[in-house]
Amino acid sequence: MKVRFVFVVFILLLSLTIFAASPSLITAAKKEGKVVVYSITSRIKNAAEAFENKYGIKVEAYNLKGYELIEKVAKEVGGGIVGADFVIAQDGGRIFGELIEPGYLYNYVPEDMMSIIPEEYQNPLRLSIITKVFLYNSETFTYPPVLNVWAFTDPKYKGRFFFKDPFKEGVNMNFLTMITKPEIAEELAAAYERYYGKPIELTTENAGYEWIKGILENGLVLMKSDTTMAESIGVKGQGIDKIGLCTYSKVRYRETKNLALLPIAAMDPFAGFYYPSYLMMVSNAAHPNAAKLFIEFLLTEEGFEPWAGSEGTYSSNPNIRPHPGDFSFEIWEKLLVGEDPEFLFNNRLDVEEFWNEYAY
Amino acid sequence: MAKLLNRIVAFFQKPENVILVMLLLALVYLTIVPLFSIAFDTFTVHSSEVRRIRGSSAGDFTFYHWNYVFNSRSSKNLFYKPLLNTTLVALAVCGFSLLTGGFFAWMVTRTNLKYKKAISTLMLFPYIMPSWTLAMAWINFFKNSSIGGAPGLFSALTGITTPDWVAYGFFPIVMTLGMHYAPFAFILIGGILRNMDANLEEAAVILKASRMRIMRKITFPIVMPAVLSTFLLVFSSSMSAFAVPAFLGGPVRFQVLTTQLFRTLNGVNPGAGYIIASVMIIIGTLILTINQIIIGRRKGFTTVTGKSSNISLVNLGKLRTFISALMLLTLIGISIIPLMTFAFQSFLVEPGNYSLSNFSTIFWVGEGRPDIASGEPGILKNKYIYKGLVNSFTLSLTVAFIAGTVGMLVGYAVAKKRGTKASNMLDRLAFFPYLIPSMAFGAIYLSMFSVRRGIIPALYGTFAILVVVGSVKYLPFASRAGINAILQLGREIEEAAIIFGVKWWKRMLRIIIPIQKPTFISGYSLPFISSMRELSLYILLVTPSTSLLTTMLFQYNEKGWDQYANAIVLLIISIVLIFNLLINKITGSSIDKGIGG
Repeated sequence: MKVRFVFVVFILLLSLTIFAASPSLITAAKKEGKVVVYSITSRIKNAAEAFENKYGIKVEAYNLKGYELIEKVAKEVGGGIVGADFVIAQDGGRIFGELIEPGYLYNYVPEDMMSIIPEEYQNPLRLSIITKVFLYNSETFTYPPVLNVWAFTDPKYKGRFFFKDPFKEGVNMNFLTMITKPEIAEELAAAYERYYGKPIELTTENAGYEWIKGILENGLVLMKSDTTMAESIGVKGQGIDKIGLCTYSKVRYRETKNLALLPIAAMDPFAGFYYPSYLMMVSNAAHPNAAKLFIEFLLTEEGFEPWAGSEGTYSSNPNIRPHPGDFSFEIWEKLLVGEDPEFLFNNRLDVEEFWNEYAY
Repeated sequence: MAKLLNRIVAFFQKPENVILVMLLLALVYLTIVPLFSIAFDTFTVHSSEVRRIRGSSAGDFTFYHWNYVFNSRSSKNLFYKPLLNTTLVALAVCGFSLLTGGFFAWMVTRTNLKYKKAISTLMLFPYIMPSWTLAMAWINFFKNSSIGGAPGLFSALTGITTPDWVAYGFFPIVMTLGMHYAPFAFILIGGILRNMDANLEEAAVILKASRMRIMRKITFPIVMPAVLSTFLLVFSSSMSAFAVPAFLGGPVRFQVLTTQLFRTLNGVNPGAGYIIASVMIIIGTLILTINQIIIGRRKGFTTVTGKSSNISLVNLGKLRTFISALMLLTLIGISIIPLMTFAFQSFLVEPGNYSLSNFSTIFWVGEGRPDIASGEPGILKNKYIYKGLVNSFTLSLTVAFIAGTVGMLVGYAVAKKRGTKASNMLDRLAFFPYLIPSMAFGAIYLSMFSVRRGIIPALYGTFAILVVVGSVKYLPFASRAGINAILQLGREIEEAAIIFGVKWWKRMLRIIIPIQKPTFISGYSLPFISSMRELSLYILLVTPSTSLLTTMLFQYNEKGWDQYANAIVLLIISIVLIFNLLINKITGSSIDKGIGG
């Protein structure tokens, strides 16, 4: 009897330290028995499997493109159609304007997580930070072939730069918008001088626009998928000399797909960019409790495991350490361009139009 | 008053009148009203455009879109260049398919070619396969490492790196679409050549006219209407192609109208998208109306008289075997190589490594590993694929049932009331959806049904909207079949039954349908097969839970998970081919009648 009591207490304590979703939530979630999630990251499928095994709740996980997710949620919730229960979304600017403001999505922070997740990541609730860096083929080159972003505007490197189609994924447009921000544009102007040895002559508003125009006029290759991009850069035995601004976590294919991929951390003036992914509840969710439980699960070490297995994705939960061999996000943060919501809100359209003039 | 009432009651006692009125109402609602809705949408601020149009709020009236599409900094790239590209592609595809199809048709009907039966059968294969399969095969085969990642099979076999213009953009789009529509030309031109009264040519031969002269003065003028008709049909089909330019044009930023339509309607700027869709509808309607006029002019009753002795075939002489073998091999290549590349690619783990050690069944039966394609299980173990398969099947069966049945009723009503205004109107309305490019048709339904309108709730995201759009779009196939079937029947048979007081539905089920079974079956089967392989019609309207095999294929392709995409293509092709065979067996007639042999 006593032994059993101690055992029960021990189990209770154990569960408290590992993961402590409230029993009432678990019961309610199990009653719903199902949860539907739309996600911009494909690794949700692995997390879904783990969640199914743990709670016996069926998961339908759909991996969508950034633009697709926004479109579907807006149309479904706006039209009163029941679709997703919660989403893992990106492209904060558009989500805020098109989904949160009309009330299609709302924020939910699990109680147990309030003390763990840093306050600034709680509204909207952040799942992770995703980084995109300049990757090159480490079989063709022992050292990075370029160390300055202006190389991609240099005829010597014509057609050798891959970039993800910003229409397919809005965060890339956010990055292009951010580099037109005066502070960053100034850094770009300085980097220009370091590369070409002469001060920049502006034909556009600032050095940020100048760089965008430069890469577009220098045979920029638009990719529709980071997977394809990583394969195109890293394939072995072909002497590939391309460089791409690509989701860093794709280096996880090194082993399985036999790719040679390394980031260029010393790129001048920035080594890439980063953006958050958000966990948001859908206002007309059919299975709200299961969704809440899943959100909580994704913020724990156990739930984040599919993403922890590679470089390039960093949980908002500080207890989850980055992948061994990767820098911590604090270091990357200094090297990469971030997202400034207010600046994006006011300037993204101008950059979009500028881009459309040259690109599509 | 009472008299009028009596007349109304009498009018509605005839089943054909009831059918006529109901169908007219339904079709006006489903084809004409949406056009107003889309026109309205080109002047409306949508919620995703509020930031774009400063100081506006959703639902406002605006000229912004019209200005943006036709007269702004972005117009050139958004509209004019894609319009030019679309036109050039369509023209080149017409040229290619007419030359190829026409050449093959002439060879089969006018020379002593060997293997005619095999060539005629194989010639239809590229058309039976969905057009984007050829595009994917092209990428598998010709992709180069400068854009598409790992080199394709061609480079692996020969060591030659394909230049960009061969691998992507205008050239491959024209080649794949041209190959896809060549059978069209082959069937239409071949049919005329085969049934043409050979007396004309014989007379010319007797008069010692040269081969070339006969071709120029007799064969061409007779074949011309078919050529023109093919030209217009192929032109409008190429114009509405979406998947092929999306797959092959993307990497080199080659945009056509459909790809811009897709881009703008997906959140960026729906208002502009609706304008592009309207432009496509206008062009499509114009082209096919011209076609109708041309066909209408030829609508004499050409009775096929007993054919005169066969015209002496051109003797290919020493080259006979060589040319025959070459043509056969070309066709085998076009039919078989794509299938082989799909099979190949779906087993390769490392891109571009074609050694045996790199083959794996993981993409077919794997459990899903996070380090390969992010943990997606293989397609035979993948619940999402099964869901897509079930969705595709359910949708296509439902669409076939509705389109086939309504088509039959249209046929009945139109034929019974022949010559009346209402009958002509119904005939035109039922054919109207054929004139509208698929993707634009999807767009008008998006505009019409994504919000609540009166008693009709928002249908976006439901299975019902896919059923409706599919049924209406494929109604023309079925109503053509229905009209032909009832017209051929003559009135006497049914009148005899009416005299005996047989009820209407019994007359249909016991007399009319059994007699015309083959025609009606084709009215059901064509919509089924078309819907099974349709992408551009549905892509704007699916949501994750209503995904179809084709839209999933598009998504996998977008994600760059080529192995999955290739595996799904094999799945779709198998289904389409099996059904084609089944229908041929059941009805004893092929949908795509061969001409040779």
